[in-house]
Amino acid sequence: MAKLSCTGRSVREINAEMRNLLADGEDVAVTSPGARHNLGVALLKPGTVTFDGSVGYYCGGLSDGATIRVKGSAGWGLAESMLDGEVTAEGNAGNSAGAAMRGGTVVIHGDSGARTGVSMKGGLILVGGNCGYMSGFMGQKGAMIICGDTGEGFADSMYETICFVGGEIRELGNDTVVSEPSEEDIQFLAGVLDQHLPQRIRSGVPEPGKFKKVVSGRKLWNFDKAEWKVWEEAL
Amino acid sequence: MCGIAGYWDKSRDSSAPIGSTILDMLRALDCRGPDSAGVALFHTPVDGDFVLQVKLGENGRPSDRVGEIIRSVAALAASNNVATTGAYLRMTVDGSVNPEELATRIEAVAGDVEVVSMGCSLEIVKQVGSPDRLEETFRVAETRGSHGIGHTRLSTESKVDLSHSQPFWAHGYPDLAIVHNGHITNYHRMRRLYEQSGVRFYTENDSEIIAVYVAEGLGKGLPLEEVLRAALDDLDGSFSCLVATADAMGFVKDSFAHKPLLFAESGDFVMVATEEIAIRAARAGQYDVREAQAREMRVWRN
Repeated sequence: MAKLSCTGRSVREINAEMRNLLADGEDVAVTSPGARHNLGVALLKPGTVTFDGSVGYYCGGLSDGATIRVKGSAGWGLAESMLDGEVTAEGNAGNSAGAAMRGGTVVIHGDSGARTGVSMKGGLILVGGNCGYMSGFMGQKGAMIICGDTGEGFADSMYETICFVGGEIRELGNDTVVSEPSEEDIQFLAGVLDQHLPQRIRSGVPEPGKFKKVVSGRKLWNFDKAEWKVWEEAL
Repeated sequence: MCGIAGYWDKSRDSSAPIGSTILDMLRALDCRGPDSAGVALFHTPVDGDFVLQVKLGENGRPSDRVGEIIRSVAALAASNNVATTGAYLRMTVDGSVNPEELATRIEAVAGDVEVVSMGCSLEIVKQVGSPDRLEETFRVAETRGSHGIGHTRLSTESKVDLSHSQPFWAHGYPDLAIVHNGHITNYHRMRRLYEQSGVRFYTENDSEIIAVYVAEGLGKGLPLEEVLRAALDDLDGSFSCLVATADAMGFVKDSFAHKPLLFAESGDFVMVATEEIAIRAARAGQYDVREAQAREMRVWRN
C-alpha cells in the first residue's frame, strides 16, 4: 500500500498523486488529511483509499468505482454525485451525504446531517446512527437505511427511493407511505447490516424485522386539479 | 460565507490558551472570510473593573480623541490602564458605574467613536483583514482565559470596516458577544421595531440584531438556553450563531440547517466551528466531531 501525506501539499497535488497511484494498481493510505476539502474527488479507478483522519467537503464526490474509507468524520457532500464504488465514514457526516448519487454505497457509522440522500438517483446509503432534517427529499431511486432516528420532513416528495428506518421517524415528509418490511426486505436489510456495519454498531441496531419501510405515496407525481388539496398541503 | 469559531475550556481556571486556540481556528477559516477578522476573549476579571475597547474613529486625531474620551468619563469614574493599539483605546473603569451611561458618554465625543466591547472579563478586537494581521496588531495569541469566540467575515450585504466586523458586543450589556454566519431575513422589520423602542444601531450589518435580541432576552432575566430557543422562531433566514457571556457559551442553528456548524466535546474542552478543519487545526488528538442538526441548540456554562 502506497503512503501519501497531505502535509505541505495542495489538494490538487494530493488528488493527482492519488489518481496516479490508483492507475498503477496501488492502494493508497492517506495521512494527515486534517479535514481538508475535496480530498479523493473524482477517483475513476478501482482500488482502496484510506484516510487516516477526518475529511472536509465532497470527499469521494463524482467517484466511479473506488473504495474509500475515512477513519474519522466527513464534512458536507460526502460522495455527492458518486457513480459507483464504496465510501465509508467511520465517524459522522455533515449535510447532504450521498446527494444526487447514482450508484455505489455510502456507509456512515455515526450520524449524518440534514438532507442526507437528497435527490439520490441510485445506490445505497446506510447510516448507523441518526439522520438530519429533510433526509431523502426528492429521492428518485436507490435505497436509504437509517438505523437510528430521522429528523423532520423525512422522505419528502420522493419518487422511487425506498427508505428503511430502525428508530423513530420524528416527522414524515409530504406524500409518504409507511409499511412493514416484506420478507424480501428483511433479508436485504440483514445482508446490508451484516456486510457493512462493525459488530459494535451492528449490535445496537434493531433487528431487520423491526425497521419501518417508507416509500412515496405517488400523489405528487402528476398534477391533477381535482387533487388541489394535496398540493396545497405539500407546498 | 463566513467562518465562526468558539472554544470553551472545561478547567474554568482562566489560564487556558484561548487566544492562540481561537487564532488557530480563525486562520483555518480565513478562506471563508477574507474581509475582516475578530475575537471576543474572556479572561480573568480584574478587581470588578470594566475593561473597555473603544474605537477612536476615523475622523479625529487619535491622541486628541484619547484625551476627550478620558475627560468625557471623568464625571463618572477615573480611567485607568489607558493604552492605545491600532485603532483602539483600551482602558479600565470602575465596574460599579452604569455601563449604558458610560458608553453613551464616550460615544458622545464624536459620531465615529464606538465602544466595541465592555465587560469585566470580555474584550473584543476586530479589524479589516486576515487573522494574521489581527495577530500582528493586537497579539491576541498571548491571551489566556476561560473561553472565547471568533469570526472571519465575507461581507455580502453591508460595508467592510471595523464596526461592521464581528464579533458584535451587545452595546450597553456587559460581557455579551455574538458571532454569526448567515443572513437574518427579517432584519429590517425587527430593526424598525427596536428603533421605535429607542435602541441605537451602529451598523447596517444584520448580524448586529442578534446581539440586540440576545441582550434583550438576558436583560429580562431569561437563561441563555431559553433566549436561543426563542430565537429559532423569532429570527428568520439562515443562521449558525455562537453566543458567549462571562459564564456561558452556546450555539443555535436555524430550522433548515442552511449553514454549517460543527462541535467537538471532550473531557477538557468544547470546540465549535463552521468547518472541522478549524477544530483539527487547533487541537490534535482523538475526539469526535459532529455537525449540529437543524434547530439544535446547546449551551455550556460554569
